Amino acid sequence: MNTFLNLTVYGLSDGAILALAALGFVLIYKATGVINFAQGELLLIGAYTLYAAFVVFRLPMGVAVIIGVVFAILLGLVIERLILRPLVGENAISVIMVTIGLAALLRAVVQMIFGTRPVPQPALLPRTPIELLPGTSVPANRLLVILIAAIVLTAFTMFFRRSRHGIAMRAVADDQQAALTMGISVRRIFAMAWALAALSALVGGILLGDVTEVSGRLASFGLFVFPVVILGGLDSVPGTIVGGLTIGLTYQYVSGYGDPGLAQIAPYLLLLAILLVRPYGLFGETRIERV
Amino acid sequence: MQKQRWAVAIAAATTLALTGCAPDSATTGGESDGPIKIGIIADLTGATGDVGTPYNEGMLGYIDWINAEGGIDGREIDATSKDYAYDVPTAERLYKEYINDGAVAIQGWGTGDSEALMNKVAADELPFMSASYAEVLTDPAEAPYNFVVAPTYSDQMRVALNWISEDAGGQAEVAMFHNDSPFGLAPLADGQSWISDQGLDLNMKPYPMPAGSANYVGLLSQAKQQGAKYIMIQNVSSPAAQVAKDIEAQGLDMKIVCLNWCADEQFVDTAGPASEGHVLVQPFAPITADMEGHQVIEEYLTEKGSSLADEGLHYAQGWYTMHIMAEGIKAALEEGDDLSGAAIREALETMGAIDTGGVVGAGEVEFSEDSHRGSTSTGIYVAKGGEMEPLETGVTPE
Amino acid sequence: MAATATGIFHRSYQRELSLRHTKAEYFRLALVLAAMVVVPYMVDNYWLSIVNTILIAVIGAVGLNILVGFTGQISLGQGGFLAVGAFTSALLYQRADLPAPLSIACAVVVTAGAGALFGLPALRLKGLYLAIATLASQEIIVFIARRWSFLRDGSAPMSVDRLHIGGFEITRELFEWQWYWILLTCAVLSVLAARNLFRSGLGRSFMAVRDQDIAASAMGVNVTRAKVTAFAVSSGFVGFAGALSAHYTETVTWESFTLEVSILYLAMIIVGGLGSIAGSVYGAFFMMLIPVFLNELLHAVGDTVPFLLSRLPAIENAVFGLVIIIFLLSEPRGLDRIWQRMKDYIRFWPFRY
Repeated sequence: MNTFLNLTVYGLSDGAILALAALGFVLIYKATGVINFAQGELLLIGAYTLYAAFVVFRLPMGVAVIIGVVFAILLGLVIERLILRPLVGENAISVIMVTIGLAALLRAVVQMIFGTRPVPQPALLPRTPIELLPGTSVPANRLLVILIAAIVLTAFTMFFRRSRHGIAMRAVADDQQAALTMGISVRRIFAMAWALAALSALVGGILLGDVTEVSGRLASFGLFVFPVVILGGLDSVPGTIVGGLTIGLTYQYVSGYGDPGLAQIAPYLLLLAILLVRPYGLFGETRIERV
Repeated sequence: MQKQRWAVAIAAATTLALTGCAPDSATTGGESDGPIKIGIIADLTGATGDVGTPYNEGMLGYIDWINAEGGIDGREIDATSKDYAYDVPTAERLYKEYINDGAVAIQGWGTGDSEALMNKVAADELPFMSASYAEVLTDPAEAPYNFVVAPTYSDQMRVALNWISEDAGGQAEVAMFHNDSPFGLAPLADGQSWISDQGLDLNMKPYPMPAGSANYVGLLSQAKQQGAKYIMIQNVSSPAAQVAKDIEAQGLDMKIVCLNWCADEQFVDTAGPASEGHVLVQPFAPITADMEGHQVIEEYLTEKGSSLADEGLHYAQGWYTMHIMAEGIKAALEEGDDLSGAAIREALETMGAIDTGGVVGAGEVEFSEDSHRGSTSTGIYVAKGGEMEPLETGVTPE
Repeated sequence: MAATATGIFHRSYQRELSLRHTKAEYFRLALVLAAMVVVPYMVDNYWLSIVNTILIAVIGAVGLNILVGFTGQISLGQGGFLAVGAFTSALLYQRADLPAPLSIACAVVVTAGAGALFGLPALRLKGLYLAIATLASQEIIVFIARRWSFLRDGSAPMSVDRLHIGGFEITRELFEWQWYWILLTCAVLSVLAARNLFRSGLGRSFMAVRDQDIAASAMGVNVTRAKVTAFAVSSGFVGFAGALSAHYTETVTWESFTLEVSILYLAMIIVGGLGSIAGSVYGAFFMMLIPVFLNELLHAVGDTVPFLLSRLPAIENAVFGLVIIIFLLSEPRGLDRIWQRMKDYIRFWPFRY
């Protein structure tokens, strides 16, 4: 029971970060149709931005976070404007390739400035062990990660449900032509999608960097976004959350109860199994194609 | 139609005829008076780039230093160093480039490329040293041109197992966390046979560490179920530091025993206070030991505006690995032979002990015709207060 | 709009189907053939080895283009299929002592079978979902290659003895030279086979599936058969490339078949031109030569600007990413289209279009 609870907490915390990363991916895909291979690198940049502001420039935490937010939004806007906008309407594979090139560029820029070794960052969230049940203690930072991610994800859900811009984004995701006729600026929505994706990646990256380390390895976390997206479908934030948590838990349980090496491909096996049964993901809607 | 067929037939015949005449192949081998060419294959941006970079810089630092001192018997070392980012096909391409340029010796890096190039360097007769301490590279029957300067992973594991047996006072459960790859598995079989051969009362179980993991709590809970009190780690520093942090977060009573690739300052720095009390098996002396061999490096670095403390022990590791090769080249030159790979190999095998000022193993590295294992002696350290403090030095598997 | 030469009148269907129509096209073909024959005499061993690697990449790129460019199925599993081909051929050649041509042929068949197997789920998956499924297959195959001790020689990667066919054996001195002719033949045959595939009904059915698979099935194209066959044929080519690489590099290690390799091949066909066999060839040359030239350039420049030298590897990666981005922004249809535009410019001159 202790082990189970332990593994569950860690699985949920990793899963929460995954959900944040996947949220950005889903935003971009739904609004613009672009499969973003640079999501992991956005996590990386988010973590390093905070490191630069907080540790290198010694700004207070609040200011550092605001700088991080502004930088992330700007980065998203710049990427969308300079790199993705010219490729609207092109072959899907070309767009994938451009995001792959972008990923390589972002990774290289981080390497150029900060080097390849992990950078020393003091713990942002407290690490004190908290005893959940007698005998099982988990560090506070893992629980806080779940909490913070939950708050951010709820905020996003509210944004999509209630605010004008959120509803506009959902309209564009549903049917671009119809949204255009309703007077929604699709261009602005594209830009917003990328900005919000960078923002959620910022939060995810900061949290991930805090519980593990701030180094180039953060980018490879981004690969797990794909199984999450398959599981949760691309059509709802709650779906993404469920997907993220499930993958996080799967990974943790396999490494805790089975062959730990399998944990790495367990998400992929799971997603293959799901795709065999439900080709549009677990919660996805069947797309109707017209010829 | 007929014309086409004839055209094709003539073209085919011409091509076949041409394949018969081959051009002269490029001649290799060192000239008798020019600079000594050495090819270096380094991982600067790949998976192990964080330790590959200081290692490579140490090597280049040594070359710069020795060229300033007049080179080897008056001849400068002309080294080309390129990044292969732990991509084995790139390593192979770089190797071919270096052969083409007339290199007489190669410095490699990882187990992947060292084993992949093992047969090629033997066929091309180029001595090859690297930072891979896999046991297979020490056997001249399997790898006649590979030289391993430090104790192999298997030797390190034997020493670690001995230490654990002593520390536990008899019976102990050991969990071996390893990189999920052949590099990680390299010492396992030898470790298991050591346990049974020496009659140690230890039970060792391997657990592969999945890549891209944000925590190792799963493995730790399995280790806890096993009742393991010792976690041996065959992996690089970052994952090992994560294990240390997880052990602290969980409040587990387990001691990490790191083999050389996580037994460095980077592990101690990244894990921070979580590194306290864990044991590090490291054949290369840490900077704080301030060996005689460190002084010359420190002088060189101070001139350049840096210091050994900034660079870390992997810098010294690269420095002395290059030094050992340079000594072999020097001995070959002194024999009066033409500088060729075969001559360097013979020199390395017959020249006796090479002094490394106490940095590598017990200080001296020696090869022979039967063994390309330079040293079996390693040091055991413990992380205390953010530093590596020696527990035992000069330990050999006995 | 592509220009076609005027004044070409075909008097038989056979002439119309031929691969080259005009004197200019034949002339360019002759130039290429001459270059292929002359190259090994002009370059040294190192560059010849690079050309050899590129020739293997051409075969792989052609295979991937058949699947991605001609049939419209996104695949990230290239590395995995290369691994299947390489390991199969190596195992049969080393452990079962099969002669090399037979082991390579078996590797092609086995990889084609594996491709067909992965093609079955592809019938139901589209777009992003297919891409992710192939990513999953890539990761799983690499995992197996990394863990299964049967695929290793103890703890060392599997090594493959130098190629020998009957009495003929590759020698050390003429290694690159002999391999060049073998690989050149294989590459030329592969390119010809692929070109011919798309002159046939089967190839056209692939393209129909790419353009509008629902309309194609309404027209009577058996979409299932087309997709599965596309996967099989493409994987056959890729398995061929993998098997050749196993014999050429003489080691088979899982590290040569990672996701980065899949991405590199995708880059090749996209930069070269999707849906074009010539594009695959251009793309293979371009993407394989970039790191080599970059290396040379930065080393030449690095001596004068020491700061650059210390950040060299990061700069190489950055330039790599930039090249891809700039290329795609300026001409998303690849090198093939650029070459076409150059030809058109000359054809249309002095008119604009």
